[in-house]
Amino acid sequence: MPHPVDAPVFVDALTKTFKVPVRESGLGQSIRSLFNREFRQVEAVKEVSFEIARGEIVGFLGPNGAGKTTTIKMLTGLLYPTSGTAQVLGHVPWRREKELLRRISLVMGQRNNLQWDLPALDSFDLNKAIYGIPDKEFQQRKTDYIEVMDVGDLVTKPVRNLSLGERMKVEIVGTLLHRPDVLFLDEPTIGLDVSMQRRLRQFLLDYNSEFEATVLLTSHYMADVSAMASRVIVIDSGSILYDGPLSGLSERFSATKTIRVEAPDLPADLSPFGRVLERGQERAAIEVERDQVSTVAGQLLRVATVTDLGIEETPLEDVIDRVFTQQKVEHDPTGG
Amino acid sequence: MSQPAGPVRLAVTHLRVSALNELQYRINFWVQLVNSVLALGTGLVAIAVVYTHTESLSGWSQPELLVVLGVHLMIGGVLRTFVEPNMWQLISDVEWGKLDYLLTRPADSQLIVSVRAVNVWSSIDIALGLGVVVWAAQEIPNNVTLSGVAAFLIALICGSLIIYAVWLTAVTIVFKTINIGDLMQVLNGVYEAGRWPVGIYPIWLRGTLTVLIPLAFAITIPAEIVSGRVGWWWILAAVGVTLAALLVCRLVWKLGIRSYSGASA
Amino acid sequence: MTRPAAEFSLIRYYRAGMRMGFQREIQYRMRTSMMIVGFMVEPVIYLVVWTSVSEAQGGQIAGFTTGTLAAYYIVWTLVRVFNLAFAPGAWEWRIREGRMNEFLSQPIHPFHRDFTFFAGSKFVWSIAWIPIAAFLTLIFDPVFEWSAVAVAGFVVAIWGGFLVRFLLQYWLGMINFWTTRSSAVFGIFIAGELVLSGRLVPLELMPRWVEGLAAWLPFKWTFQFPIDTLIGRLDGAQILSGIGMQVLWSAILGGLFIATWRQAIKRYAAVGN
Repeated sequence: MPHPVDAPVFVDALTKTFKVPVRESGLGQSIRSLFNREFRQVEAVKEVSFEIARGEIVGFLGPNGAGKTTTIKMLTGLLYPTSGTAQVLGHVPWRREKELLRRISLVMGQRNNLQWDLPALDSFDLNKAIYGIPDKEFQQRKTDYIEVMDVGDLVTKPVRNLSLGERMKVEIVGTLLHRPDVLFLDEPTIGLDVSMQRRLRQFLLDYNSEFEATVLLTSHYMADVSAMASRVIVIDSGSILYDGPLSGLSERFSATKTIRVEAPDLPADLSPFGRVLERGQERAAIEVERDQVSTVAGQLLRVATVTDLGIEETPLEDVIDRVFTQQKVEHDPTGG
Repeated sequence: MSQPAGPVRLAVTHLRVSALNELQYRINFWVQLVNSVLALGTGLVAIAVVYTHTESLSGWSQPELLVVLGVHLMIGGVLRTFVEPNMWQLISDVEWGKLDYLLTRPADSQLIVSVRAVNVWSSIDIALGLGVVVWAAQEIPNNVTLSGVAAFLIALICGSLIIYAVWLTAVTIVFKTINIGDLMQVLNGVYEAGRWPVGIYPIWLRGTLTVLIPLAFAITIPAEIVSGRVGWWWILAAVGVTLAALLVCRLVWKLGIRSYSGASA
Repeated sequence: MTRPAAEFSLIRYYRAGMRMGFQREIQYRMRTSMMIVGFMVEPVIYLVVWTSVSEAQGGQIAGFTTGTLAAYYIVWTLVRVFNLAFAPGAWEWRIREGRMNEFLSQPIHPFHRDFTFFAGSKFVWSIAWIPIAAFLTLIFDPVFEWSAVAVAGFVVAIWGGFLVRFLLQYWLGMINFWTTRSSAVFGIFIAGELVLSGRLVPLELMPRWVEGLAAWLPFKWTFQFPIDTLIGRLDGAQILSGIGMQVLWSAILGGLFIATWRQAIKRYAAVGN
């Protein structure tokens, strides 16, 4: 048994390979496959290593099939790795020791931890019993969270009568009642309207700062990641492409920046300066290589009477999109 | 310009599509076979045990009782092959609002909803049941005549139609208030009563099983025709009951249509 | 900020879980009522058949009078609903829908959750049974041999029967971790149970060899034994030894389940869903 590590989440060379049966089409192949099952290896997670410190919020980014969900499943004990080690709060997750399970929380997709036909309050009571939450703490937290998430009238209705967004809110309340130290969140704001997304993010941030909880979150909404995560791990085809601060993501992956310029006498043809993204009568947005930014900016200032000039990073969504397309071009698709 | 398909052509088309679909899943044949054999086996065991203790059950001999079992299995097979799948499909369509679309088609709505779906593998029960009837009939000292066989077949058809009518009537009446899965469970429970001749039941149950859910005419009569316990003229009673059941069903359907449409809104 | 220590108690969980099972079943009382009426048909059929056999034989067969048979099949319905347990086939749905993740990430074994849920529902079923029992009593004139021992023994025996059957079906359900075509196996199990548990007919009315076979299997202790206890066919010593058999079978099946569960989870966690 490896010595317990201090970091709440510790991952070292974690690997998961699946054996997937080869599915052929056609009658002849189907018959053949009855006798001779062929498999191919799919490397869902390849030698992934990282450490998360106490109180850190880390965003996990990657396209579908990148290995994010597989990694989270290994960290929550739902899957055995093929090789490598990991520890969560000093425990090996796939041993599924009760002491560990009592201190983590997993919110995955739209799956319900709540009882479908009964009001959420009843499920909360059950959670109290499952996690052994002391009475006083339970009542206090329940009241607090319900108020903060504004779900007072929702928790008395059967869960099946709630909309997706309402269910998610109530689900989050239920999942934090036992005050987990490590949260694994998969798409937590999906289905919520913008104001609710903001409220939920704030809720999680407050929880994180009050209890120094460690949060590992995956999301397709860049707003989630940029609002909550200070650090981002980008994973694709089973490997980590980037692990560092959010701000560094653009630098690392985006070779370009965007110059926004406003001037009453902008030249008609701006293409010599760079790739024109937007064009209006007196304004334009031009995409320019990073090392060309100051040169182009200087040129624009000489060529027109500029009233406003701004230099922006490429939006993160576009960066991410580009990262994954780039990866697909560079590597052979391994599928899975 | 081609004419819209007549009812028979429509029915056959639907059946063919459903059947082809089901036939893909050949493993279901084996699963069904195992389940059917088990059901038949337990039925045979039950009867065997009864007859270790007595020679006659309310005037019925063992072979006669086996014929009832066989007919019960045959009609049950018809129920599971042709009737139940359509009931499920009907309720599904109501829930998803597809019934309204159906009602705008030129063909008769009741016909459409009654013949669309089929559970091919349940027809194993029909074959098994017939096998039991033929096998048990040999033990009965009764001459097999052509008119007898004809009467039996007519009785079977009547029985199938009665069951169909009762099932559709029940579904149409209660679909709004009761979950169809629960209704099917109750109906199937009651259907089990048809495994034994209706004559052995106390009066109050006999009455229910003759008038309300005419298992007496659906199952016991055809069996009695084979055993020679009743003369072929009972066919007329069976046909009469069948027509009455179909009429009631038709009425209920027409009334039900009005409350079906827009039930999903 | 230090966290207060967790106070987990299995008893407290069982109370909460059973309460939820009860509340859920109450919600669906319409369905429960319909189901119990559906369940009633089977014993009425057997009752009619066997009482007419019994009448033909002079009012008695193999130690059962007509009145005792009536009592048997009336209690039958209550035992039948008490025996409803987690369906083996439901595991396939759980695996396919990804619900296993939910259970595996909680610090409590899904057995406790499923068991308490069903256990709580039994209180609703028992209430639903009362009008059925009254109705059947009026019609079929049962003969009970009441005694405090019988009633007390019955209360223990019916829960014991539920536990044994629950464990048996739970263990059988594990097969779904290895194959999706499990329904044929369950069909065999149900058919065997029908014949060997006293559900079709009291085992004394079966051929000797069937009775002998049934003695080695758990089915009898889930069905006939509780019924016999209440209708007064057993004396105190027999009741106690029967409960002992229930305890024994619970231990055996529980052990089998735990061993198989470990393998099932190993397989699940190696492959995912």
